[in-house]
Amino acid sequence: MDYHRNYRPCSTFFVEDEYGMDTRMRQERQAKEEHQKLVSRERQRAMAEELSHITSDELRDDVLAHMMEMDSQTLPDVESIDIQTEIQWFMRPYLLDFLIEAHTAFQLLPSTLFLAINLLDRYCSKRVVYKRHYQLVGCAALLIAAKYNDKKDRVPTIKELKSMCCSLYDDDMFTQMEWHVLQTLGWTIGHPTVDAFLQHALLDDVYDDPEEEHMALYILEIALFHRDFVAKPSCELARAALALARCILNRPQPRHTHWASQYDSMTLVALSQQLHQPSTVVSRKYASAHYSRVSKIMEHFLNRQASLASYARCTPPVETPVESRPYNGEMGLATPQKSSQLTAIPHGYLTPPITPENEALVHAHSHAQSHLGNHDTTRGIPTVNGCSPSPAPSAEMQYMNSEAYQQEAMYMAQQAALQHFPVAPTHMAMDQTY
Amino acid sequence: MERPRDPAVHPLKIASSLVSPRSFLYSHKPGPSQAPPKMDKSQQPSSFQQLEKLGEGTYATVFKGRNRQTGEMVALKEIHLDSEEGTPSTAIREISLMKELKHESIVSLYDVIHTENKLMLVFEFMDRDLKRYMDTRGDRGQLDPATVKSFMHQLLKGIAFCHDNRVLHRDLKPQNLLINKKGQLKLGDFGLARAFGIPVNTFSNEVVTLWYRAPDVLLGSRTYNTSIDIWSAGCIMAEMYTGRPLFPGTTNEDQLIKIFRLMGTPSERSWPGISQLPEYKSNFHIYATQDLSLIIPQIDPIGMDLLNRMLQLRPEMRIGANEALQHPWFHDLPQIQAKLQQQHQQQQMAGYGGMIPPQPAY
Repeated sequence: MDYHRNYRPCSTFFVEDEYGMDTRMRQERQAKEEHQKLVSRERQRAMAEELSHITSDELRDDVLAHMMEMDSQTLPDVESIDIQTEIQWFMRPYLLDFLIEAHTAFQLLPSTLFLAINLLDRYCSKRVVYKRHYQLVGCAALLIAAKYNDKKDRVPTIKELKSMCCSLYDDDMFTQMEWHVLQTLGWTIGHPTVDAFLQHALLDDVYDDPEEEHMALYILEIALFHRDFVAKPSCELARAALALARCILNRPQPRHTHWASQYDSMTLVALSQQLHQPSTVVSRKYASAHYSRVSKIMEHFLNRQASLASYARCTPPVETPVESRPYNGEMGLATPQKSSQLTAIPHGYLTPPITPENEALVHAHSHAQSHLGNHDTTRGIPTVNGCSPSPAPSAEMQYMNSEAYQQEAMYMAQQAALQHFPVAPTHMAMDQTY
Repeated sequence: MERPRDPAVHPLKIASSLVSPRSFLYSHKPGPSQAPPKMDKSQQPSSFQQLEKLGEGTYATVFKGRNRQTGEMVALKEIHLDSEEGTPSTAIREISLMKELKHESIVSLYDVIHTENKLMLVFEFMDRDLKRYMDTRGDRGQLDPATVKSFMHQLLKGIAFCHDNRVLHRDLKPQNLLINKKGQLKLGDFGLARAFGIPVNTFSNEVVTLWYRAPDVLLGSRTYNTSIDIWSAGCIMAEMYTGRPLFPGTTNEDQLIKIFRLMGTPSERSWPGISQLPEYKSNFHIYATQDLSLIIPQIDPIGMDLLNRMLQLRPEMRIGANEALQHPWFHDLPQIQAKLQQQHQQQQMAGYGGMIPPQPAY
């Protein structure tokens, strides 16, 4: 086409089409520039990634060791927070909602939120906080976290924080509180946050999977709201949340040589029990495309679990002629129907070789009964949950090596966790202790 | 299921009953399980006698000080507090990072003292910075090869420790390296330092004093990593030999030209992807790579090899701090240190601080 156009001898062509050519050329040039920019951004990203790989190959283990050490040194103490006279656990979710909204409004880095809440809880583990100052402590924590992590121009000004608090505090109270938090924490601000460990856990992945990462972040943000996780090491939370996110999204779990695979199944189960009623602020935040709409995905997943569970209750699982092959670690989420392993066990269902969620189960069960009729979901208690906890040793014999057994145990724990989903009131029962 | 929303505890109303008590902080009672904060106001500024001014930084002034109780010398770094925005982010980063970094090649932070309008950091006392040391001790600023090797080893040890603890210094230059009477070199001034993640995140490219700034940063890269500290270390090594800064640029562009003139102008072939960097210009003057030993005749071939590995234009090609410490150039370090020790003792006998005998040239 271009060739022909260039060699057309007609002079009127250019005159006629000059304007059209001009705009077209401009458009083409613009498109080209856009494309160039995109390519350049992509290549810069690739270069950055390569550089990052070099750093991570060289320093990964040392950095991780240091982070774990710092993590253990910078955890809040829940028992100290328990004995606060004025502030109560039930107030905390409201403050967290406020901080999450402020954090989003200021467009701060993800780790800033987790750091701010760590600083808040550590301060509350060390000082008596009046109810009327709780929000001020939260703002000071957010301010310090932003100053530590974010670019200068992103750090909220005291004026902005003041107006967010509807001018309840004077300007100098923010600076005083900021200093008091710093002093109380001995200026040890470098708490390695859950998202930093999450990045570590994702290092071994061959492909980027933003959905998986966002789901893990969503679970971690939900976990912020629960007392049980306040003093849990960040590295443990991050790994368990990632494993749970992979379950929910039906992604393969990592190989057991990877750091990410060393998650604690108890933590995973505990996290899975808190997914039902996330703060609306958090679920709204994660419903955006920016976060792959993971809160919607989670909702669908939970609904599906609930319906499957009620189905399971009506029709007891039948022996399906699926070839029984051992769990190979590559299977993500398997529903009770799909699991070939379950049917392969002589005594029906294998109870996971951990007890606590049986307690939770009983708890949930009784609670569910008392609420029966209020929630549709409570009717969907799967029959498997009715099983009496049986010790696992008999199952142990079936495995040739303990590694496979461990894998199986982990898998079973996940299974149990997933079967818990329909039992919504667990969460409510927990909440009352706040 | 909505959580019951009690209007009384809505965050925006938590403080509704506040009567603005200005001194509320002093009414705080320590919690029952509370351990006393490590750095409380136990030490007032008056417990240090402030002596002469040692230097002035971008956001702080440094004085020599004496602990009134022990007589120990310290360095006092005074940071002016902005009443508008509270504690500066530089101070928050510097203090919290230095508390994490306890190492013989990093200046120790003893205490943090807070007064009405300033923050005072109490540091281990060091005699002078490397710049001053070179001016006073060296021959026209040049240091003898044994001292260079000893200092480089300590510098790299400090850098390696920072990097292993996920900290980038981001402002290495002779003024920020401190020397004491024992001939120890330590990293100071962590005002620009920050913790990095793995994978490395995006940072500001307004870091490091121009002369010691790595070419990738000069070209506008924001995803630099530990290699930026290595470039600075290379520049410092050359400067210790020659007594003059290796690349004394005046502007960002001039700095790049000075680097290219010596190291050669990079191209897509020698540095794939370079043309994508924001500050890259296709019309950079093409220079051929020069032999560095013409500019630094004092350096031995093995030292030259290490220097070349640190001064790689491509950040990917630059040697890591831990690897650099294993470089053959450092193999004879124990002997050299013994020699330096001996020399040092002789100087002490001759009366330190008075006439300093000229350094023997190796």
